[in-house]
Amino acid sequence: MISPLLHDDPHTVGPFRILARLGGGGMGTVYLARSAGGRTVAVKTLHTRLAADTTLRTRFRLETDAARVIGSDHGAVVVDADPQAPTPWLATEYVLGPPLDAAVEASGPLPEPAVRALGAALAAGLEQLHRSEVVHRDLKPSNILVTAQGPRIIDFGIARAFGDEHLTSVGSAVGTPAFMSPEQAAGLEHAAAGDVFALAGVLVFAATGVGPFGGGAPTDLLYRVRFGEPDLGGVPESLRPLLVRCLAKDPAHRPSTTELRTALGGAGVTPGDRGGFADLLPDAVLREIARRSDQVWHQPPHRLPPPVPTEAPRSETAAAPGVSRRRLLTVAGGALLGGGLLGGGGWALFAGTGDDGGGGTKKDAVDRPKPPAQLWSTTIRCPDAGGEVMRAGRNLVVRAGIVLCGINAESGKGTWQANIAETWRSATDGTRVYALRGYTEDAAALAVCEVSQANGELGKPLVELSAFTGKSQYNQLLCVADGIAYLVARAASGGRWYLVAADLKSGKERWRSRVEGPQSQGFPPVLSGAVAGSQVVLCGAPSEGSKFIGLSAHDKDHGRKLWEMSETFAGTNPPSQLVLDDRNLYLGAENLTARRLSDGGLEWLLDNKPDDGAGEERRYGAPTLHDGVLYCAKADEGLIAVDALSGTLNWQEKGLSGRKNNRDVAPAIGKRYAYCVDDKGLRAIDLRARKAVWTYEAEPLVLTADAKGGHLYVRQEKRTLALPLA
Amino acid sequence: MERLRQDDPARIGEFTTLARLDADGSRGVPERRYLARSADGGHTVLAFLPSPGGDPARWAAEAQQAARLTQPGFWPVGQLGGTPAFPWHSSPYRPALPLPAVLAAYGGPLPEALVRTLGGTLAEALASAHVLGIVHGGVCPAGVLLTACGPLLSCFGATRATPPAGASPAQATGLETGCLAPELAAGGPVDRAADVYALGAVLAYAATGHTVPERQEIPAGLRDVITVCRSRDPQGRPEPARVLAELLPGAAYGALTGSTEPVPLPGRVVEALSRQSAEVLAAALPTQGH
Repeated sequence: MISPLLHDDPHTVGPFRILARLGGGGMGTVYLARSAGGRTVAVKTLHTRLAADTTLRTRFRLETDAARVIGSDHGAVVVDADPQAPTPWLATEYVLGPPLDAAVEASGPLPEPAVRALGAALAAGLEQLHRSEVVHRDLKPSNILVTAQGPRIIDFGIARAFGDEHLTSVGSAVGTPAFMSPEQAAGLEHAAAGDVFALAGVLVFAATGVGPFGGGAPTDLLYRVRFGEPDLGGVPESLRPLLVRCLAKDPAHRPSTTELRTALGGAGVTPGDRGGFADLLPDAVLREIARRSDQVWHQPPHRLPPPVPTEAPRSETAAAPGVSRRRLLTVAGGALLGGGLLGGGGWALFAGTGDDGGGGTKKDAVDRPKPPAQLWSTTIRCPDAGGEVMRAGRNLVVRAGIVLCGINAESGKGTWQANIAETWRSATDGTRVYALRGYTEDAAALAVCEVSQANGELGKPLVELSAFTGKSQYNQLLCVADGIAYLVARAASGGRWYLVAADLKSGKERWRSRVEGPQSQGFPPVLSGAVAGSQVVLCGAPSEGSKFIGLSAHDKDHGRKLWEMSETFAGTNPPSQLVLDDRNLYLGAENLTARRLSDGGLEWLLDNKPDDGAGEERRYGAPTLHDGVLYCAKADEGLIAVDALSGTLNWQEKGLSGRKNNRDVAPAIGKRYAYCVDDKGLRAIDLRARKAVWTYEAEPLVLTADAKGGHLYVRQEKRTLALPLA
Repeated sequence: MERLRQDDPARIGEFTTLARLDADGSRGVPERRYLARSADGGHTVLAFLPSPGGDPARWAAEAQQAARLTQPGFWPVGQLGGTPAFPWHSSPYRPALPLPAVLAAYGGPLPEALVRTLGGTLAEALASAHVLGIVHGGVCPAGVLLTACGPLLSCFGATRATPPAGASPAQATGLETGCLAPELAAGGPVDRAADVYALGAVLAYAATGHTVPERQEIPAGLRDVITVCRSRDPQGRPEPARVLAELLPGAAYGALTGSTEPVPLPGRVVEALSRQSAEVLAAALPTQGH
């Protein structure tokens, strides 16, 4: 059955993308996989370390040939194969049915008509194989898949051509004792008649649930196969004489496959009757077939994390090569401090007091870390949305309801204030601060101005858009990137709403594109917007009482809408910041998802596990992206770290209990610690040990990591404070 | 999986169409339904389009409504797309047979026990929707999609998406006439009682092969419940919960819809479901190798 990939399973084999594991053993692994054209297959691989063994490699090639010979009616269609690859592989269709042993386990012994139909079809399959001068040599219940259309013979692991002796030396018994032929058990030639013997054993098993020679230790079984009488006590009377002949010790006395097929098939299924075989199967087997037909279409399970302990966390090891590959882009307002965007220059300042060998380091301070003392604290009210701490040059800018405040990053002292009326009317590009001009009768047009960082006053308009009215309180300044301001504004006539790109250098509108107006009282049309690569990505505000938010993307240069979709959103606070890199947009709510920026399609999804106690609440917290790793709180289990590119779970916080994670607050990531908010306060999680090390009593609403300044800003309802970021 | 015809779209949004869900010449299908796949091969979906005779804008509005629902027993509407003139919606593919295909696979009307479990599940789905004030408005044989885990109602709002003026709704949408309550023909709104009428027609179809059977055609055990659902007077029709109790006496309410376990189905029906699954698994986008 379908099970998760292990951390060291390959991502691709040949041209196929690997989705899940189907089975594994000493020789190799079978995977569920998909081609570029979306064809789903089963891929069997031979372990690379075994591929050096010429015998095994030859056997793998023969298996490939045998699988091709048996064909689609009786086996699994071979889609592609490369027996010469360093890791030899064979891709076949994924067959929808349980192995015969699992089927009999589920339903009990099969009724006689089903046994006959099964036997006739298997005899026909062997006939086809033998006609091409191939012997299976390992026919047994686990190598037969029961589909709704009939049995399929798979796994030709030891099949070989007639007279091809070099694979097994005489005396070494290869095969499965319970269904071996006596000649095989004796280490002699097992030819076509040997397969007939094995088939009879399989039919006895199907009719009774036990093989003709019972079970037990392999040596006992081998002896009984060679010298003992088969037990056909539970086999229907009418089948017994035929099976006795098949189980003759002397191969020459056994019937041919053709004879067997005719003898079994008399009362069986008429050719061309599609559902005839399925009608003979017990309910339990049909349900098993239906389950597999449906389940293969479920989202495959997620790859398992590597076993712990393991190497250092990805945020550190992957930093250097990771940054160029998954370059973090300017997000939400162009100047968020989160993530690795601003590099780590300032960190050394604080690392000096840590464990990097700088002077005065005390060993026990490393072993038993304590929450740090605050660097400064200031009284500023935190708004419901847009509470992130932004950087503008050397200073910090924070929103506090209807005012925008400048703060000295080192002292926490307020330097200026500007009245901006609504939180959604201001933005920074990392250096400068911008806001929409307030409406007056003689300055009625919508305008974007720079906010002076000396006194908080709005300068002369950088751009004035007369086609749009400055009167609407819901006009929005989404972000400023590369000298272009992105706004959502109401047209001066007609009352329609547009996404507008305005060039702050030339003072001209570049383009506009229609968007939905405000959906509910008190909310602007768009919750958040950001520029990533060649796109402007928008997250629309939910309409009243709805659990849906709209996501859309526009071409940054021309404004053309590239895609749009709606997404359900559990939890109370929809994302006021978009988390993006140059490939995906990440959202955490009921599921943790990555949507492709290119087309809005789902790149990957970590789904609901109904057993983690989150109930109806938001399950995944607001995520934070840092060096290609996505961090977020999961239910009340703790912090998880997920590879942003693949959706693979890298690690999960250990040993957290009795805390209620506040999942509306995105975590902040430092060099040594990740910071998370729960009902006890601010929790620091050691990135190496993956365990909480201290808790700082606070009720944070927004966390912002400032790698450049070496600060962690903690915004609470009435007070904002700075802690050293470690 | 049914072959595409010349007039079928080659692409639906970012998806390439692979096949039709409904057999050629199927009657009473109020939407066009396709199996389709994203260009990277990673996502296979069942995509729904309005039928050519309908009003695409109205249809899109209904789809938008359906996308907001996570109603047990309803086929989920995942992604919405397209333009007002060419709207579509899609959801991840899973093997599903429209009820007419179920009868075709079985070789005729379904056995009474199966009609009872299918009908009971549909009644439960309607009951839980009606409680919330949601009226399906598109119940018909083709709108019932049977999965391994039981039936789901699709074609949400197909009746409402009908242009009301003049023409009979059935002609415009391709809805089976036998599923339209008499009061609708007189211009009445689609309400809960109309859903129950349509449920009666679906039960009749499952048990006899057509939506407007003669009374004596209906198996004796189902005769009364089907007849009362199909009362001309809306007041005379039972609540869906009552229909459930009639079909499956003693069944725990809420136990049928949303099942994640396979339900017992006849061999031939399982065969058709698994064959569809296998065909879609084996299908590859045309331009690429595998």
